[in-house]
Amino acid sequence: MEVIIALLVIVIAIVLPGVLLYNRLVRKRNAFKNAFAQIDVQLKRRHDLIPNLVETVQGYMQHERETLTAVIEARNNAEQIRQQSQNAPGDPDSMAKLGQAEGSLGGVLGRLFALSEAYPDLKANENFQSLQEELTSTENRVAYARQAYNDAAMRYNNAVEVVPSNIIAGMFNFTRAAMLEFEDRESLQEPPQVSFS
Amino acid sequence: MTDSAFFNFAEAQARARRRTVVLVALFVALAAAIAAAVGALAGLLLGGAGEHTAAGPGGQTRMQPSGEALLTQFDTGTAVMAGLAVLSIILVTAAVRGLMLGGDGANVARSMGGTEITRDSSNATHRRLYNVVEEMAIAANLPVPKVFVIKHEQGINAFAAGNSPENAAIGMTHGALASLNRRELKGVVAHEFAHIANGDMRLNLRLMAMIFGLVALTVAGRMAMRSVLITGGGRRDQRAVLVAMAIGIALLILGALGVLAGRMLQAAVSRRREYLADATAVEFTRNPEGLASALKKIGALQQAERMNNAHGEEVRHMLFAEAVARRSPGLLATHPPLMDRIRALEPQFDPETDRVWRMPQKEMIRESRAELG
Repeated sequence: MEVIIALLVIVIAIVLPGVLLYNRLVRKRNAFKNAFAQIDVQLKRRHDLIPNLVETVQGYMQHERETLTAVIEARNNAEQIRQQSQNAPGDPDSMAKLGQAEGSLGGVLGRLFALSEAYPDLKANENFQSLQEELTSTENRVAYARQAYNDAAMRYNNAVEVVPSNIIAGMFNFTRAAMLEFEDRESLQEPPQVSFS
Repeated sequence: MTDSAFFNFAEAQARARRRTVVLVALFVALAAAIAAAVGALAGLLLGGAGEHTAAGPGGQTRMQPSGEALLTQFDTGTAVMAGLAVLSIILVTAAVRGLMLGGDGANVARSMGGTEITRDSSNATHRRLYNVVEEMAIAANLPVPKVFVIKHEQGINAFAAGNSPENAAIGMTHGALASLNRRELKGVVAHEFAHIANGDMRLNLRLMAMIFGLVALTVAGRMAMRSVLITGGGRRDQRAVLVAMAIGIALLILGALGVLAGRMLQAAVSRRREYLADATAVEFTRNPEGLASALKKIGALQQAERMNNAHGEEVRHMLFAEAVARRSPGLLATHPPLMDRIRALEPQFDPETDRVWRMPQKEMIRESRAELG
């Protein structure tokens, strides 16, 4: 009888904290996955705006075919990678690819807006202005959603690595989540600076 | 363990709530002290008067032992009743006022002359504002509040209203929209989001309701004095008139002192919350430069306006315009000095050489508009 009770106590002493730690890991994993879903929403919005932008710009920027083609290619590439990474939040390979694709999309978009400075008619176009505003805002949303994702991923990673939850993480295959970094991200957050002097 | 890299909204709210409890306790103690003082006075004065009048009309009920000093006739019953009456005036008025003021931020924004704007606004500056608000909602991890614009107001000013994140509203003057660029707008909106996240409006509303309770006391004192002056005179007992006058004056003085103490308390709390909101705003935007630049533009407008008229009071209070005194003296200022706030964000700030600090509003408007294409 005593043996049974002792065994029971041991099992409870080990299993109960284990369950609590496991649940904590699951909650943190859900948190960063949810944060990634928020990025995905904003990236989709960004990608949806670009065809409209190219459509609007085309008529004005006849001599910039190359840039426009580069924008469309970068956009299509980024959209494809977005769809692939949609179901793989935190996967290092997906996050690296996504970061690179969005970074280069940001780069060519920046070039497009820089070139647009030379076309006063285009700049006066209301449609263009409102698209520019929407894109700027979407860049910011992506940036803030990415901030939230990286914070959530860091908290999850901490839980995966610290003692004792790392034991549970190892047993149940909780792997580290990768951060999402965009190259060239500083230039994305603000519209191009214009100087009249 | 706290998650330092991420703004912990729930924890900040809990902290704000604890602080509110302390403030309410302080206020109740203040009200109780005032009530006790008035009660003691009433017991002292009416104790004698009570015997006097009781003996007056009936005449035969009780004989007063001659030679007894007046002041020894302290009437405990009257003292307690008077004290309770004063306490209930303060607390009930404060509670009623608190319930009236609380609630929907949109109502407050409308009462300040705000017009609501939405996502579909056709005005480019309004759409930029709405976008910035939605961006900051993501950064702050809060619901998107209602957004209001106060037209016809050229000064740079903004506010947040509403007593919970769910019914919050953010308002912005036309001057702020026209004079700030996107980066600065983001700093200001983040500052207002910080007030929402930190529960500052609720705190401020509580404080204002408490002060209102004390104001009610001074009103009661004035009414007591006036009724005596009107009905008094020769017909009534001279002594009763004097007693009522004394109590009225006591109510007036104690109430006024209480109001002053309350205002100073409110101002001190508000100043601390402004620094906190600036810090939280930087946490949201991860960029102190935009907010600092917006504060500099406010400073630039103040310098320009000071030449024309005395309109240069501290702006960007978080709630009612009436809560901000003109040319507020140090202890009653609801905001820390602009310079100190800028230096907290940008230690190397030098007003002598700073470009934004000396920018005329025309230049600001041109810069802001250029950004919209």
